Amino acid sequence: MSLTTSFLGLTLQSPVMVASGPASHDVNQVRLAEEQHAGAVVLKTACSDKYEHMRFWPRPRYKLLDWDKQMDGRSKVFSLYSYEQGYSGTLEDYWKFIRVSKEHAKVPLIASIFADDAEDWADMAKRVEQSGADAIELDISSPHKPGSLGFETTFVAAIKAVMGAVRFPVLVKLAPSPELLHQCRVAEECGASALTLCNRLRGFDVDIETQRPILHGNFAGVGGPWAKYYTLRHVAEAALVSKIPISGTGGVMSGEDVIKYVLLGATTVQILSVIMVNGWESIARINKEIEEYMQRKGVTSLSEIRGKALQAMTHPEEIIRWSGEPKSGSRNLWKETGEQE
Amino acid sequence: MISGQMMKYRGLYPFPPSFAKEFPPIAQVVEEHCIACDRCPPICFFDAIVMENRPGHKYSRTAVIINANCTGCGLCFDACPVDAIIWIPDKDGEAKPKTASPLMEDTDL
Ligand SMILES: Cc1cc2nc3c(=O)[nH]c(=O)nc-3n(C[C@H](O)[C@H](O)[C@H](O)COP(=O)(O)O)c2cc1C
Ligand code: SF4
Ligand code: SF4
Repeated sequence: MSLTTSFLGLTLQSPVMVASGPASHDVNQVRLAEEQHAGAVVLKTACSDKYEHMRFWPRPRYKLLDWDKQMDGRSKVFSLYSYEQGYSGTLEDYWKFIRVSKEHAKVPLIASIFADDAEDWADMAKRVEQSGADAIELDISSPHKPGSLGFETTFVAAIKAVMGAVRFPVLVKLAPSPELLHQCRVAEECGASALTLCNRLRGFDVDIETQRPILHGNFAGVGGPWAKYYTLRHVAEAALVSKIPISGTGGVMSGEDVIKYVLLGATTVQILSVIMVNGWESIARINKEIEEYMQRKGVTSLSEIRGKALQAMTHPEEIIRWSGEPKSGSRNLWKETGEQE
Repeated sequence: MISGQMMKYRGLYPFPPSFAKEFPPIAQVVEEHCIACDRCPPICFFDAIVMENRPGHKYSRTAVIINANCTGCGLCFDACPVDAIIWIPDKDGEAKPKTASPLMEDTDL
């Protein structure tokens, strides 16, 4: 039995990867992830020079919503509300970050970038490749990106430009939306090597005492353990039609959650919030939970069960339906008594 | 009822403090309020909170925030059950990332 997973021509020692964010902003963190046997690390997204302001972060930038103080990190109902921006150094720092991380760790590294002009995308992707990253993820779906940048208007050209500029694997990270399936198809047609589904949604919260929006005063990224239910659906939908591998991300708290993503067709799973609230040991714990499941189910490699639940999906036309009306409860009582008291 | 609860947790809502335009805010533990419940050290993702012994303190221990490590992120505020964490101005700090590792400094790469 082994967690070894092949993904984009790389051999990962686990399907569990660290997602782009504050847990992959520094070399030491890459080493921590490696110690915990993460399969790979997606580095924090670096923004093009045009978005230099996104290298500066407001304080505070996080708020734990609905955090159960009694449950501590075991809580499964919280939301992590955040306005975290891009990698906080310059692009030169970022290339160096990749080089130094490669020097100090063996875990596969996937860099992540954001820009608007296709030219910037291509230049940055080239620099990432030269710096020695194993792959690149295109973050075209951050909840903080300017709303004016659309998929068709900006990012299709970006994917094409990057595909033309580099030879290593390119992942495209998409956001949950009704257009997601279409975007998956387009990304695949453009030659993307894999899909990362999904980034977090843009949310909003206000404080009713002060009657002001919380935190920095504007919309924020929001997610939590509950977010897995719609990402699981998006992964399933995409897995049914795409031929390229899928890296699922969203709401994973345990090994069971990873298994769910795999059963719905994901090859790898990216985690972040659980590391932030439960610590780095979460990675090793989740690996162990996956192994326990495999042991219990007699599975030797996750490829044996990948997409298994997809095959068991019921087509809407084949869902068995019964008349529910006679048993609908007290609201139908008048039918029986003729009159209500 | 809601407002009663809000009052209790008022200080836990991490709005940027009033001095935030001038100085980067960082968190600080008000030691007299701390009940040494051990909740905040694990929630801090930046290893900025440690528990220290305090002879004479009601609980003999208290949480302490290491200024140099605190990124002012706001996570710890929601973990504290007694409103013991407040914002203070980081007067000699700059709004710069605090996680850059020495590995990035001593290298010719
Ligand atoms: C604080 C925070 C910062 C993030 N920053 C980035 C980022 O810079 N680039 C990116 O592609 N995704 C970013 N994400 C999204 C994560 O990579 C991940 O896909 C998402 O949080 C879902 O996983 P989770 O539920 O395990 O946290 C961020 C998420 C959080 C919570
Ligand atoms: S504000 Fe953030 S970095 Fe500072 S002590 Fe609290 S959790 Fe740690
Ligand atoms: S969470 Fe609050 S009470 Fe508990 S140790 Fe930290 S500062 Fe003290």
